Amino acid sequence: MESPVRATCHCCGGPGAGPPRRGFLAKSLALVLGAAAFATPVVVGIVSFLNPLRQKGQAGELVRLASLEGLLEGGPPVKTPVIMDRVDAWNRFPKQPVGAVFLRRTAKDQVLALQVVCPHAGCFVDYDEANQRYVCPCHKATFDLDGKRLEERSESPRDLDELEVDVRGPEVWVKFERFQPGSTDKIPQV
Amino acid sequence: MKALLQWIDDRTGVLSARQDRRQAGVPQQPAWLGVWPSAILFTFAVQAVTGFFLWTFYSPSAQTAWESLYFIQYEVAGGWLLRGMHYYAGQVLLALIGLYVLTMIFSGTYRAPRELVFGLAVVMAAMTIALLLTGDLLSWSQRGYWSTDVRTKFLFLLPWVGGDLYKLAVGGPGMGHLTLTRFLALHAGLFSAVFGVLLVLHVCWARRAALRDAHVAFRSAKAASSRGAEGQEKAAFAERKATLVDSRVLNALACVAVMAMVLVMSCWGALGGRPAGQLPGDYLGAELGSPPDPGDAYAAARPDWYFVGLYQFAHYFSGGWKIVPIFVVPGLLVLGFLAMPFIARWRAGHGLNVVATAALAIGVVALTAISKYQDAKDEGHQASLAAAEQDAVRVKELIRAQGIPSAGALALLWEDPKSQGPKLFKQHCLSCHDRAAADGSGMLAQDPSAPNLHGFASAEWLAGLFDPKRIAYAPPRDPQTNKLQCTPTDRPRYFGGTEKLVKGDMVDFVKGNLREVRKDVGEEEFPKMIETLAAEAKRRPGEKASAEVKQAIGDFTCFDCHHFHGENKAPSAPHLTGYGSREWLVGIISDPGHPRFYGKNNERMPAYAKTPQSPEDNILSLRQIEMLADWLRGVWYEPLTHSE
Repeated sequence: MESPVRATCHCCGGPGAGPPRRGFLAKSLALVLGAAAFATPVVVGIVSFLNPLRQKGQAGELVRLASLEGLLEGGPPVKTPVIMDRVDAWNRFPKQPVGAVFLRRTAKDQVLALQVVCPHAGCFVDYDEANQRYVCPCHKATFDLDGKRLEERSESPRDLDELEVDVRGPEVWVKFERFQPGSTDKIPQV
Repeated sequence: MKALLQWIDDRTGVLSARQDRRQAGVPQQPAWLGVWPSAILFTFAVQAVTGFFLWTFYSPSAQTAWESLYFIQYEVAGGWLLRGMHYYAGQVLLALIGLYVLTMIFSGTYRAPRELVFGLAVVMAAMTIALLLTGDLLSWSQRGYWSTDVRTKFLFLLPWVGGDLYKLAVGGPGMGHLTLTRFLALHAGLFSAVFGVLLVLHVCWARRAALRDAHVAFRSAKAASSRGAEGQEKAAFAERKATLVDSRVLNALACVAVMAMVLVMSCWGALGGRPAGQLPGDYLGAELGSPPDPGDAYAAARPDWYFVGLYQFAHYFSGGWKIVPIFVVPGLLVLGFLAMPFIARWRAGHGLNVVATAALAIGVVALTAISKYQDAKDEGHQASLAAAEQDAVRVKELIRAQGIPSAGALALLWEDPKSQGPKLFKQHCLSCHDRAAADGSGMLAQDPSAPNLHGFASAEWLAGLFDPKRIAYAPPRDPQTNKLQCTPTDRPRYFGGTEKLVKGDMVDFVKGNLREVRKDVGEEEFPKMIETLAAEAKRRPGEKASAEVKQAIGDFTCFDCHHFHGENKAPSAPHLTGYGSREWLVGIISDPGHPRFYGKNNERMPAYAKTPQSPEDNILSLRQIEMLADWLRGVWYEPLTHSE
């Protein structure tokens, strides 16, 4: 929108006599003011849009997964669902499955816990009973009972992710974590 | 850079068009009138930006709409400001367009050749109202929900098609998920797009009209300049007017003013300093009331300020005549405004338009004032507002303690004894029972015919029960209506209002034998008996009583009629085991005629859940009875305050 400022301006010069610099100043001032006004909602919007970056997942919580007696010493791995309170933005869902873990009792009071998520692309691996190994259904990567990669040039960039286990008397507690897929290092997803 | 701009300009003509206008010298009507469209354009841009970002969080369903707004308001960084800006800028937008239309009328610039420019402004005003009304529901709060409920039901006033239109508006036979999805699609999609197109058209056409004005002025000035000194002066003035100097500073200042206004309104709650114990979301930005309870209509639902006048106007019509204020008058008003430029062709037309507009404006202001005044002195309205505010505070307390379940935030209130207790008591108990302190504060029955349940089974309550003066006290009855002449403080507290119990064994005992029994047992044992009985309210079901406890009660001959922890297997009065405990209260509310309670002596109290095996036959669910019992016992979640 434009209007005759010069005609209404009393502070300097007569009508139509303003130097070009004043026009430039006015233009710059208008630009700065307008930009500042419009930037306010944009900035507030972007700050709130970036809010997910401030939010942390529930990684690293210790969960009770099984009783020691339920696992046979030297027996096959048992796929165990991880039941936790799940927070989804504003909702809190009490006691829901949020993932799964393969549990295998390796010694009297030792349990190996492996994330079921394949480190390659994030599919859930299956346990192949006949060959005693884990197979990823997506790209056929295979892992031995300890989660080590079986192929020399495996699709998976690293072995299956082992989770921290704490055997407390008869109870098996596991520190449930997720790790970023695709990288050679175990980088926790937070 | 220049080459790129040239490339763009060659293909679009955007830049050279701007150049053309500058050279042609586009003047305006008075400068201040030119600021309006800029401010409107800016405010709309603010709405588009804030609306988009809100959309990235908003979840339109009956169980998530309010909940996602709660998340924005309390959990998202800057979320309250985002909501506040969108809410207040919407109101500012309507105010700007309304004032713009008024200034066009009063300054006469709505006349030829600006009929369409003006018409577009009028339609934009209507479209802004459509945006505000659809946006109002999206918060899915008590106020937005019930306002929209009333508004959509107005469609039934329309003959033949009303019912179908209602279903189309709300997306089914009643309000729910599809109402929200529809309203969001209309609000963020259709109405916003239409408004944007109208706004662009308006700005283009307004420029065109201004350009025409300039040519006319310039030509007439040139003609005048050949006619002497006076003419030359006129010509100089017209030339000055036609000379282009940009008023971008003025426009930018208008945008800054709009933004400042919106920010001040958003932060209004913080002006008096930060309220103690409140979160920023509580007092900053747009208010977030409690989620809507479809079973509990919000009596204080009022439209926002721009519709209060119409709301009050509609009060003067009843029944089928409501169609006049709701559809006929607003429709005629829009048509009237659109017709104004054409009316103005007639000699007295402009004057008529101005007078009519002024009269309308004064009328709207007056009606708004009447409505606000009436609400302010309406105690029922104020009580509804206070109750809704209480619910809003409570639901947020519960959310902070428990999180929001998948059934939505409302489920927290539905499961909360503090919120549901008073409602259930009012619906089911208040016809006979008071629940009020001695000073009359609390809930008072119209005609109390059963004990006051305030502090039921507490030591204080029991002390009154064993007082010969108080157990059967009642104010005198009105000889004509046979009703007790109660005042808030002078009322029966125990059996005074009952029909049978007042002549029953308990009253006989307290008024008669009790004095002797107290003497026999020892006066110092009497308060101990009361304490022991009051302690039963805290006893867990199945927990055994010690011999001492039994003796404390038994010494006062209570076992003659009452059962207590195995004593007296054939009682004629209610069991005292766990007297006043949750389990005992749930039992007596479920079935007071059970042998464990009043048996055949039960006077009038209904059984609220007599058949646990078929819950659908009962008046109240077990959960409702539990909440009632918890509320009577004063057991509910309370957040810790800072002083604790």
